[in-house]
Amino acid sequence: MAIENKDLEPNPKPRTVAEMGCGECATICKLSGEHLGQNSPCIKLLELGFTPGQLVTIIAKSPFQDPVAVCVRGTVIALRKQEAECIQV
Amino acid sequence: MYSSVKDSASCHDRSDSVVVPNDLPVITLVGQPNSGKTTLFNLLTGSNFKTANYAGSTVEFSVGKFDAKFDFNALIIDSPGVTSIHPQSPDEETTIDALFHHPVYKLPDLIIVTADSSQLSRQLYLVHQLIESGFNVIIALTMNDLLEKKGFEISAAKAEELLKCPVVKINGRKGAGLSDLIARCRQQYEMVMFENAKGKIKRPSPPTEESVITLYAFTESIEKQVLLPKEKPIDIKTVNKKIFNVRSHDADEYSVKLDKLFLHPFWGLVFFIVSMSAIFTSIFWLAQPIMDGISEGFGLLSSWTSALLPPSWLSDLVAQGIIAGIGMVATFLPQIVILFLFLGILEDTGYLARGAMLIDKPLSKIGLNGRSFVPMLSGFACAIPAIMAARTISNRRERLLTIFIIPLMSCSARLPVYALLLALVVPPDKPWIAGLSLGAIYLTSLTIGAIAAGIISKLAGKKGNSAFMLELPAYRKPVVRYILKGTYYKSILYIQKAGGTIVFCSLFIWALTYFPNTEPAISTEITNNLTREEVFKLIEFERTNTSYAASIGHMTEPFLEPLGWDWRVGVSLISAFVAREVFVSAMALSLRISENGDDLQASMLESMRVATIANSDKPLFTTASTIGLIIFFMIAMQCISTLAISRKETGSWKIPIIQQSVYSIAAYIAALAAVNGLRALGIQ
Ligand SMILES: Nc1nc2c(ncn2[C@@H]2O[C@H](COP(=O)(O)OP(=O)(O)O)[C@@H](O)[C@H]2O)c(=O)[nH]1
Ligand SMILES: [Mg+2]
Repeated sequence: MAIENKDLEPNPKPRTVAEMGCGECATICKLSGEHLGQNSPCIKLLELGFTPGQLVTIIAKSPFQDPVAVCVRGTVIALRKQEAECIQV
Repeated sequence: MYSSVKDSASCHDRSDSVVVPNDLPVITLVGQPNSGKTTLFNLLTGSNFKTANYAGSTVEFSVGKFDAKFDFNALIIDSPGVTSIHPQSPDEETTIDALFHHPVYKLPDLIIVTADSSQLSRQLYLVHQLIESGFNVIIALTMNDLLEKKGFEISAAKAEELLKCPVVKINGRKGAGLSDLIARCRQQYEMVMFENAKGKIKRPSPPTEESVITLYAFTESIEKQVLLPKEKPIDIKTVNKKIFNVRSHDADEYSVKLDKLFLHPFWGLVFFIVSMSAIFTSIFWLAQPIMDGISEGFGLLSSWTSALLPPSWLSDLVAQGIIAGIGMVATFLPQIVILFLFLGILEDTGYLARGAMLIDKPLSKIGLNGRSFVPMLSGFACAIPAIMAARTISNRRERLLTIFIIPLMSCSARLPVYALLLALVVPPDKPWIAGLSLGAIYLTSLTIGAIAAGIISKLAGKKGNSAFMLELPAYRKPVVRYILKGTYYKSILYIQKAGGTIVFCSLFIWALTYFPNTEPAISTEITNNLTREEVFKLIEFERTNTSYAASIGHMTEPFLEPLGWDWRVGVSLISAFVAREVFVSAMALSLRISENGDDLQASMLESMRVATIANSDKPLFTTASTIGLIIFFMIAMQCISTLAISRKETGSWKIPIIQQSVYSIAAYIAALAAVNGLRALGIQ
């Protein structure tokens, strides 16, 4: 269950939102929750607005680096590392 | 997806099958969390509504009528926030289910969707789902002031044309745009009635990746068409498309700046710990003088009543049963009000969500969730609203675990018990020791809760996914009026839910300790050389010793003896099951304390100090047995209302029964260990 934005150039070195630094900005290229199997949060993430092609910004990381506060479509949403790892940029 | 989501095939037209309580038009407010629903609801209803909300969440519905000044006779229902019509948590499920089949009201004639215009593409997602489902939708665009700060403006006319439904801009803070909104509601309602357009409402099928992406592509295209740069009315095409998109999707600038501090890896945590401890301790410091005053006042009232009325069972009932019972409800109200007030401020400023984010990682280690934080904090006021607030946790396992450990949080009903018992063991000239011990009790109960959660989640194994996706709303200045109003309604609700039970139980216990031997015979030989006062005491003592309560208490004695407690403690523990704070009044009643104008606690302390174990001269409340009692109270789940609410919220008797038995046994063992440990150390 990978959701790709076909209009975008394939990212030379794909990363996930969880690996982005504080204040960093990137474009979502793909959502993939295969490693979580049945419990993939992809649909929920999509419904929240994390669709491929959207710009995401890391607003803050909590003291334990998990959860991270991500800005998408003008809203700041806190995501656990596990969910953040499903969003590839 | 939530397991019990109703199958869309089972949803059909219900507009003709619902019994409508009255013929008024029904308008439901729907919207994403923090989009301004409750604010709009308050504006539309004035103070003309009934609410059933609990702290930390809008779980129940508030129903009201339009304020008379709008001259529109209709019902309006507020609902909890949802991000999508496809529910992901029990909280969202309640809302969505109620939209399609409201348990009390008919299918809504109109839906007002509040949409935060500073994040339009996300908000229109829900709007579009509602339109697609066949509802008659009116869009109320909120937060236009925030959007203007970003340098944009919305063309409501354009949006109306594109979405084919009425769009009204409002300002929740200033109350602007309301008359326009009402006019559109009225117009739309008349149209609906005329066309009889109901009955085509259908629950949509579950989303697929493609459908979500397609829908978002649609809302984005609408967003691009209706957003206009503020001040410079230039053609949208001349604005660099990329920059436009980026800027309208920026987070609130001011909030981002504040988050640099509040979500700072170090200072954010420091601020969190300091502010939570400050709030927590101030709940007690602020409430204490008020509570003392109330308790003194009721003590006085009670002794006046006994003095005024002729001595009979009736005067005893009024003074010791009714007045003392009401006094008890009133005494711990200040704490509850202060807690609701602080929770209201935290929620309204937007900090509560940040707190949940900061605390998520440590809580996830013991199988909980950042969202467990609010229910747990509320648990320090009362387990009932706290257990209900756990509905916001979408993962079932985490939710059940939160509910499971909430009774371990030291609710305010336990405070009078701790205060009394600590006063017994702490030297009167060193009151600060009592303060410290109280702090230690709270920390210990939190630790016990954490350990219990850790053990249970280990035992249960890791099942199901645990997601934490929480919107962090923009920081806002709280509106004092709304916070006060919210606090007022929550406190009223609390009195309604708990007050009656407490007074009733206090009466029941009074009866147990007063009957059947109401006029005990005492031989004149004994009374001859006693003062009137002493005779009264003797009669009371005799009456209690031969009461129903005494017989019940004697049955529990074999269990209590190893702890150094006697039947009177047994009676009080049994009565405390109905509400913990009843322990204090039950203890007072079973010791038959007559109040001579002093406040309750002072006269109780005196009698408890001199109380001896029946038929012996060993003191009843020794340091060891009192500490044992405190420990028992920390762990035991002695509250019938908590049991009932736990049954309701978990959907079966399984969890409440496990809670009840595990906590009772653990409390007994811990108290036994403590008492015997202290005795072994030479502390009696
Ligand atoms: N700046 C601004 N703030 C608003 C507006 N409407 C509501 N708010 C604030 O937004 C916050 C969330 O509103 P609330 O009604 O509780 O949202 P709900 O979660 O949808 O019920 C509150 O602090 C309100 O005072 C508005 O039009 N402009
Ligand atoms: Mg609300």
